[in-house]
Amino acid sequence: MEVRVNVTSVIQKTVGGQRELTAEGGTVAELIDDIDRRYPGFRDQLVDEGGQLHRFVNVYLNDEDVRFMEGAATALSEGDEISILPALAGG
Amino acid sequence: MPRIPRAIADAIIAHAREDLPNEACGLVHAKDGQPVSVHRVTNVAASPYRFEMHGMEQMRLEQQRDERGETLFAIYHSHVASAAYPSQTDVRMAFFPPGETDREPAYPGTFYLLVSLAEDPPPLHTYYIHKGGVIEEIPAEIV
Repeated sequence: MEVRVNVTSVIQKTVGGQRELTAEGGTVAELIDDIDRRYPGFRDQLVDEGGQLHRFVNVYLNDEDVRFMEGAATALSEGDEISILPALAGG
Repeated sequence: MPRIPRAIADAIIAHAREDLPNEACGLVHAKDGQPVSVHRVTNVAASPYRFEMHGMEQMRLEQQRDERGETLFAIYHSHVASAAYPSQTDVRMAFFPPGETDREPAYPGTFYLLVSLAEDPPPLHTYYIHKGGVIEEIPAEIV
């Protein structure tokens, strides 16, 4: 399943300076693993040891927050678009 | 010294007031280093104590900056009852992963702009949050 992935400036440093890349996977977790094989360390920034997305990492599947779907287990389809960015937050 | 057009300062203060009782947040874009536009972003935390920008709105604004050759001048938010000074949470979240202050900040060269509704008229202050979590106020001139 090939999916287009958009990242923001904060993440692009970890994927060789690109804002857009393609990756493969049947789920969000597999997609992250695929990118991590090419850019080691990518995965650790996004998911914890249990495979759950970190609280302040946003992942959108076609504009929908995957947290309101199945999180890292959310299934992907050919042609989907994934956006990954750290939350801009504070108090 | 950063120069902020009065209209931009007023737009930020108006947003802060409209979003009471919650914190307001958004981005200021710059062209050739000069602030040119204010972009409100939904605070998905919808809280008087926290803000969290809507991720897709944030992403689209970054894409818009790229298309227009603009940069991120400032990340702004309001404090509804405390001073216009970065909180510990603000500093922690200025790094990615959060709290890893031994790295470069997530948005180097971007100001953190805070407005406080604890005073009237609401003061507006600009800061850099540096590596190590060091807060430096950079007084802005409202022009």
